Amino acid sequence: MSFLNFVEGPLFTFAAAVFVLAALWRLIGIIRIGRTKDISPPKGSAAVGFIKGNLRHFIPRGIFAKRTMVHLVGGYGFHLGLFVLVFFGVYHIDFLNERILGFSWPALPRWAFLLTSAIAFSGLIMLWVRRISDPVMRLISDKDDHIGSWLTFLVMLSGCFALEQAHDSLRATHMLLVDIWLIYFPFSRLMHGFTFFLSRGQSGATYGRKGIDL
Amino acid sequence: MLMLAAFAAPIAAQSVRPPGNAVNLDDGIEDGPSNALGDISDTEIWDNFRGGNPRELFAAAPEGQVMTTTGQQWRVVREKLIRKYLGWLPVIVIGLLAVFYLIRGPMKITGGRSGKTIPRFTLSARVAHWFMAGVFIILGLTGLIILLGRVVIAPYLGLEFNSVLASAAMQGHNLFGPVFVFALIWLFIKFVRGNFFQWVDLKWIFKLGGFFGGHVSSRQFNFGEKSWFWMVILGGILISVTGIIMLFPTLVDDVRWLQLSTILHALGAVGLIAVAIGHIYVGTIGMEGSIDSMLKGEVDENWAKEHHDLWYEEVTGKSATAPETTEDAP
Repeated sequence: MSFLNFVEGPLFTFAAAVFVLAALWRLIGIIRIGRTKDISPPKGSAAVGFIKGNLRHFIPRGIFAKRTMVHLVGGYGFHLGLFVLVFFGVYHIDFLNERILGFSWPALPRWAFLLTSAIAFSGLIMLWVRRISDPVMRLISDKDDHIGSWLTFLVMLSGCFALEQAHDSLRATHMLLVDIWLIYFPFSRLMHGFTFFLSRGQSGATYGRKGIDL
Repeated sequence: MLMLAAFAAPIAAQSVRPPGNAVNLDDGIEDGPSNALGDISDTEIWDNFRGGNPRELFAAAPEGQVMTTTGQQWRVVREKLIRKYLGWLPVIVIGLLAVFYLIRGPMKITGGRSGKTIPRFTLSARVAHWFMAGVFIILGLTGLIILLGRVVIAPYLGLEFNSVLASAAMQGHNLFGPVFVFALIWLFIKFVRGNFFQWVDLKWIFKLGGFFGGHVSSRQFNFGEKSWFWMVILGGILISVTGIIMLFPTLVDDVRWLQLSTILHALGAVGLIAVAIGHIYVGTIGMEGSIDSMLKGEVDENWAKEHHDLWYEEVTGKSATAPETTEDAP
C-alpha cells in the first residue's frame, strides 16, 4: 500500500470516525449539562430568543462594526471561503463522490476556485495576524488557538500546492494534514464550528426569556 | 515548505505524472506525413522560422513562418543573466549586513529605554503590515524556487525533488499572487499618509541616516522608510501587473510582452526581496526598539526622540531635546 493510499484510505477512515464520534460526544455532552432552572415568570419566548440570538450575531451592531472591521472582513472571508472551497472544489467533490457519498454536484470553475482560495487565505491570515497584533487578543489566545489556525493554514496551503495533481507526494501531504486536522478538531477550539450556535443561542434564549429585544 | 520537503522526498520519484490538465498531442494522429524529410534544407527551414511574425503566439504565421527569434533572446537573458546572477543579490545583501553588524553592532537607544511609550501604529496598520509581510514571504520563497530551483535545488537534491517543489511552488505562487495585489492596496491606504518626501529628508540623506553616527531629524517616517514604502508600492505594481499578464497570457496579443513580463517580474521581485532583507535587519536586530512599533504598536519615548524627533514633538507637544521633567513632583 502506498503512502497516498494509506492516508486516503485507512488513516482517513480513522480520522473521519474520530471527527464524527468525538464531535458528537462533545455536542451531546454540552447539551446534557443543561442549565439552572429559571423560576422567574417568562416575559418572552426563549425559543425565539435562541433563533434571534443566532441570527443577530451575524451582523455587528453599528458602533462595533468599524472597530471590528478586520475581524469582520477576515472572519467572513475565511469561513465562507473555506466552506465554498471544501464543498465546491472539483477535487473535493470527486473525493467525496468516490469515497463517501456516491453522488456529485457542480463544481466551481477554476478561476472561481482560485479567487475563493485567495479570499479564504486572506481572511485566515488577517485573523491570525490580528490575534498576535491586538494586545487583548494576544493575551487571551493560547497554544490551542495558534495550533488550530496554523493547522488549518497548512491544510489549505498543502491543498493549494497539490492543485496541479502532478505529484502523488503533494496530494499525500495534503491528505495527511487533513487527517491530522480531523483528529485535532473535536478536541480543540476548532469545535466552535459546531458549538457556535449553542453559545449564541444560549445568550439569545436568556435574553428572549427576559423579554429583551435583540 | 520544509514540512512539504520532508514528506515529499521519499515518494517523489515513483509518483510523477503529467498535470491533470495536460493534453496528449499524439491523440488523433494515425499516420505521419508521407514526405517526412521534406524538400528544403535545414538552413531554409530555420530561415523561414526566424522570419516569423513575433506578434503570433502560435505557429499560425503565413508562408511557413512559424517561429520567432525573440524567444531565443529571452531564453538567453533568463538563463545566462537572470538565473545565473540575480539570485546572488539577496545573498550579497545578507553578507553586507552581516559585515555591517559585526563592525557597527546594533544601534542602541541612547540613554536606554525610558520605560514610557507612545503609540505609533494602529492595530489595523499593524495587521496590514504583517499581512503584507506574510504574503510577501510566501511569494518570495515560492518565486525563488520557481526561478532558481533548477540551478540551486536540482543539482543537490535531484531533479525529481525539484520537480515536486516547483509544482507546489508554482501553484502556491499563482494562488497568492492576487492576494498580494489586495495586500498592496491595503498597505498603500494605511501608510501613504506621512510617506511623501519632504525637505527634512535631505538632511537624512546627507548624514547617511545616522547609521555611521550623528543624529538625524525626521518626522513619522524617515527618508529610508519612505523610500522603502515607495519601492514596495511601485515595485509591487510592477510585479503585480507583470504577474497578472503571466497568469492570464491572453490579455496581451504579443508574445514579447510575456517575455518582458517574466524578466521584469524577476528583477522587481528579487530587488524587493533584497531590500526587504535590509528592512527586516533594521526592524529587528539592527536597531533596538524598532520592532516594538509593529509588534505592540507603541515605541519607547527615547527611541522616538532619537529616530523621529519631529514626529515625537508633533504627537506629544513636548520638545525632543528638553530634559525630562517629572510632572508629579511635589
